[in-house]
Amino acid sequence: MLRLPPFVVLQPETPEQAVAAWHPEAVYMAGGTDLLPNLKHGLGAPKQLISLNRLPRGGILIEAEQLVVCASTTLSELAQSKLVRGLAPPLARAASLVASPQIRNAGTLGGNILLDTRCLFYNQTAFWRRALGHCLKAEGDWCHVIGGPKTCVAAQSSDTVPVLLGLDASVELLGASGARVLALRDLFRFNGMDHLKLEPGELLTRVFIPRPAPGFRGTYEKLRVRDSIDFPQLGLAISGTWEGTTPKTLDIVVGAAGPIPKPIGKLEAFCGQELTDEGIEAIAELVRKGTRPNEAIHGDPAWRRQMSAVMTRRALTALRDA
Amino acid sequence: MKSLLRLNINGEPVELAAHPHWSLLEVLRYELGLTGSKQGCDKGDCGACTVLIDGKPKLACCTLAATVGDAQVTTIEGLADSDGPDPVQRAFDVTGALQCGFCQPGMILSAKALLRDHPEPSDAQIREALAGNLCRCTGYTKIFDAVRLAASQDRQVPIAYGEPAEGFIVLGSRGRKADSIGKATGEALYTDDLSLPRMAHGKILRSPHAHARILGVDTSKAAALPGVFAVMTGQDVPIPYCVIPWTPDETALCTDRVRYIGDGVAAVAAADEDTANAALDLIQVDYEVLPAAIEPAQALAPDAPILHELDWKGRPRKDNICKTVELEFGPVDDKLAQSVAVAEGTWHYEGSTHGPIEPHAALATWSQDGQLTIWSATQVPHYLHRELARVLELPQAKIRVIQPALGGAFGGKSEPFDLEFCAAVLARKAGRPVKFLYTREEVFYSHRGRHPMTMHFKVGCDTEGRVLAVDSDITIDGGAYHSFGMITTYYSGQLLTGPIDFQSYRFRSSRVYTNKPCCGPKRGHGSVQPRFAFEGALDEAAEQLGMDPIQIRRVNAIESGQETVNGQLIPSTGLLACLDSVERGSGWKERWGKLPLGRGLGVATSMYISGTAYPVYPNEMPQSGVQLQADRSGKITVFCGASDIGQGSDGMLAYIVAEETGVPPDDIVVVSSDTDLCPVDLGAYSSRVTFMCGTAAQEAARKLRTRIVDAVALHWQVPDAQVGVALGFVYDKDDRGRQLDIREALILAESRFGTLGATGGYRTRAVGAKYRGGTIGASPAYSTTAHVAEVAVDPETGVVRVEKVWAAHDCGRALNPQLVEGQIEGSVYMGYAEAIMEAHTFRTDGLHTGPNLLDYRMPTSAECPEFFASIIESLDPGGPYGAKEAGEGPLHPIIPAIANAIWDAVGVRVRRMPFTPERVLAAMKERS
Ligand SMILES: Cc1cc2nc3c(=O)[nH]c(=O)nc-3n(C[C@H](O)[C@H](O)[C@H](O)COP(=O)(O)OP(=O)(O)OC[C@H]3O[C@@H](n4cnc5c(N)ncnc54)[C@H](O)[C@@H]3O)c2cc1C
Ligand code: SF4
Ligand code: FES
Ligand code: FES
Repeated sequence: MLRLPPFVVLQPETPEQAVAAWHPEAVYMAGGTDLLPNLKHGLGAPKQLISLNRLPRGGILIEAEQLVVCASTTLSELAQSKLVRGLAPPLARAASLVASPQIRNAGTLGGNILLDTRCLFYNQTAFWRRALGHCLKAEGDWCHVIGGPKTCVAAQSSDTVPVLLGLDASVELLGASGARVLALRDLFRFNGMDHLKLEPGELLTRVFIPRPAPGFRGTYEKLRVRDSIDFPQLGLAISGTWEGTTPKTLDIVVGAAGPIPKPIGKLEAFCGQELTDEGIEAIAELVRKGTRPNEAIHGDPAWRRQMSAVMTRRALTALRDA
Repeated sequence: MKSLLRLNINGEPVELAAHPHWSLLEVLRYELGLTGSKQGCDKGDCGACTVLIDGKPKLACCTLAATVGDAQVTTIEGLADSDGPDPVQRAFDVTGALQCGFCQPGMILSAKALLRDHPEPSDAQIREALAGNLCRCTGYTKIFDAVRLAASQDRQVPIAYGEPAEGFIVLGSRGRKADSIGKATGEALYTDDLSLPRMAHGKILRSPHAHARILGVDTSKAAALPGVFAVMTGQDVPIPYCVIPWTPDETALCTDRVRYIGDGVAAVAAADEDTANAALDLIQVDYEVLPAAIEPAQALAPDAPILHELDWKGRPRKDNICKTVELEFGPVDDKLAQSVAVAEGTWHYEGSTHGPIEPHAALATWSQDGQLTIWSATQVPHYLHRELARVLELPQAKIRVIQPALGGAFGGKSEPFDLEFCAAVLARKAGRPVKFLYTREEVFYSHRGRHPMTMHFKVGCDTEGRVLAVDSDITIDGGAYHSFGMITTYYSGQLLTGPIDFQSYRFRSSRVYTNKPCCGPKRGHGSVQPRFAFEGALDEAAEQLGMDPIQIRRVNAIESGQETVNGQLIPSTGLLACLDSVERGSGWKERWGKLPLGRGLGVATSMYISGTAYPVYPNEMPQSGVQLQADRSGKITVFCGASDIGQGSDGMLAYIVAEETGVPPDDIVVVSSDTDLCPVDLGAYSSRVTFMCGTAAQEAARKLRTRIVDAVALHWQVPDAQVGVALGFVYDKDDRGRQLDIREALILAESRFGTLGATGGYRTRAVGAKYRGGTIGASPAYSTTAHVAEVAVDPETGVVRVEKVWAAHDCGRALNPQLVEGQIEGSVYMGYAEAIMEAHTFRTDGLHTGPNLLDYRMPTSAECPEFFASIIESLDPGGPYGAKEAGEGPLHPIIPAIANAIWDAVGVRVRRMPFTPERVLAAMKERS
């Protein structure tokens, strides 16, 4: 079997205990569905594993015009939640499209937001990586994707993050010096080796999603080979408020095309007026231009880029005509 | 350090000492003996390890035992209660949803959770709920049936056999498989489920280079590591072997040279896997890296590095050509010149692997008197037996090979592998049993999967569509070793000559060594690739002639009793009935060529052997033997070397013996694939088992029946002919009221004749043509198949969705239609997967692009097409009750049927597999 590195398991009962237990050779584990396969590949060898499974489970509630989701909420719970399906349907949809039923039963929203970036040259066994020659992200000094010694462009592969960005979500982080709230868009940096702007030992405790305004319509589309198990080859989150066929606001975020999810700018120009087929076509072209997939994950980058436009056109048309 | 772990498993508290870094799966399997939870990838990709945690399906391989806490864990062993198996387990059993059974514990638990939350699930909900459980055998069809049945029934799903075919008492009924309730309940033991006292764990050190000379291997540090019991290198096993005895070109571990990334170099046996891995890290190998030939073009270049310096006769090799076959039948060039329609092109098959959910495993132990026993996940115990004897320099009589339950094979376990030799050698050195279990990555490196082929084809037809000539030139990428190579090379040409009859034929096939994992036999060995090319070309010829694709196949259909252009006799064929069936089923006449842009239908046909006429080593002995033992208990034990790899051959043997003797199948025990207990059978390959073992079983059972009938006739004082045999009793044909329970009849027979037993065998009849190679591809019988595939092609994305497949297969007499359907559905699934998504590919440096089940994608229940299997029975004069093969033939047509449907949908001919969206779009762009 694949072996996990020897570690000690701590199971704190409160977030504060968890944070207090943290030290540089420790790592948090929620559902473990991202962490454990990586550790089995020899990607990291923590001495301590701080399991979050005994922390109080806060569930999903509405508080002060915000949807508040506890980080420990499983993806299945998120996908099935009446509250989420009613208020933020694309989030429920994105959660329902992650991995497989078993993984959604264990994987959490917190883990999905913080999951490691992925790369075909990295998410492999130690033997395989040695045979290839180690890469920048692990033990080496060369990126096999861009063919250079500096940048890692492993892909941010979460299905929920693009949706959460479109919904203007923020996260609550608990650190040694207390809690802070950070806009999700400020969490990521363009570096596949270190893509999270977390302070060491910070624990993600809750996710806040402003209650979508009336007239909200949004969706999440996922490109993948199989209809289950597969990580996204491309994720497309669209959200907006609509009056009939007129968007008042419109947000598009593309996932799995690089180390950070890509927000597509300049969409105000299309708001406040009826969205025509030509408008949709123009937006699709903006998305295509803004999407630069790389070879870190499966599928021809040029094709995936082209698909970003097709997916945008189809999804926007459906939203407009809904 | 271990610490106390408390768990609640199947309703009971358990306590054990465990390491904190142990997964729940390893604790269940290896510490608690709950081996019903399976392991297929160990990292979240396959679902075989699914258990219920507080009622929710989760993956035991991605769960730490230490964090389970108070939660209730339900494993497959926990479903049955004092009333017996759970209704879901029974439903899987009776519907034939279990083939190898390896995926099933996980599948059943997912189904159980679904039915609890949704007692009447929709089809979409069923597909969705099972979409994290890969099954490689069934094409999910019968699994969906099982879940529907479980939803509709109360506790007692009936265990019934259904109606037999007319004139039979057992055969033709939709019987359960002999061993399936054991698989559904987790009771069946697979190789890795076994453990012995003092057992050590073995691991193999593998080469990180595609091609290198081994200058030295220093194992001293590894040997000195505490907990290491034994270490070995290639020097311990220098005798070369091969499944084909006269082409030995590989050793159990490399001696002087490695030929692909993953080739084995040294091995260790240690107290546990962690120690074994640590020991591997301490082995120092000095390599001199050599230039590598990754693609056939590189291997064929004039200055190519030579992979094998000597050939198998010890002569120096000048090139990397493993085998070339050139054969010509009839005036091909003249016939091509006469042709009015000629389709010509180059087709590429990229390579694919078997992907059984069970990884290879082997366990070896020696007795004090020098007897070796090895349990192995092999599908050919007999060939393993022979090669172990050769390499270990032991008499065969000193070796016992046992194949436990097998978790899928598909040809991938049909020759000896390094782990079997290493287990034997290390067990001898360590003086204790040694077990090996491949990681999923090692399964990919061991491979022996479908060969990549580049195939140039020319097919010429006359105005009526008659195939006048077929001319092909095929380059076969063999990988590093021979495997079944020369047979593959022959098969790539020899198996193409039916069910479409050619008037002339020429092929030139060449298998080339390259620095990649070795290719070998995968379901439809050697012939799936050229079938893709030929059936595509035939469609193009039909298009040129303006003919309906089904019609062109009818026009050329070979007839029963006819000889093919290369001299093979086809005793029976049901092609026309197959074509009629899929034409009707798919609504072809109303729909082909008339569907809107993006939707299409495509047809293709094929023919396949029912066993090869000759074994891989020439001999005069039976290819298959069966021995029966019966006694006053009313039970019959069937001993046969055959390997049940999930296809259900144990059940088939039981049905045949039941048919002849009247003893119900439930009272027949099959003891198979154990070289100490069973007469030899050559193994589960080339679709030979039903035909050959079935014939042997029939012969043995008829002898036993004669004893029973004689004894009863003497007792009743009537002529033998007056005694009839029915299921469970014998009766007087003239006085139906006079009956005797079959147990009583056996007592009479044992009293009269003494100890009861009988043997039967299958001997090859002389078939095949006289020319050199004319017996390769010769078979006593051939199955035929026709498929129609319906696809939806998205013209904007290039994504091909296969929605429905109608598959009609002529298997002769269907001894158990449910099992035959299962083979058809499983075959279509596997071919569909190859056509649409699977690509066993390598980087330019020879490294596998993704040796795991996340990067090598096998279809899930979510996108799997709907399969409509129909059975055509053109009874074969040579087969048992007219039976022929069903396990491999039905794979062939699906790939070209999909390609031809893509043409109907969007007007492009795809000639390179798999038909990825990128390729389909590129083809569409090129055309416009
Ligand atoms: C076969 C397979 C397929 C998959 N497919 C997909 C897919 O399609 N889409 C997708 O998005 N994901 C996929 N995943 C990845 C993973 O299952 C999900 O992202 C899941 O949501 C991760 O959640 P988790 O709770 O299991 O995270 P964990 O594995 O427990 O943690 C992930 C990371 O986040 C950190 N972490 C977790 N929680 C916290 C917290 N509260 N505070 C601070 N740090 C924390 C951990 O230290 C770790 O680094 C797949 C995984 C597998 C094995
Ligand atoms: S993107 Fe480059 S550096 Fe990053 S993981 Fe992949 S190969 Fe390594
Ligand atoms: S063994 Fe757990 S998912 Fe494959
Ligand atoms: S029965 Fe599903 S993998 Fe064999």
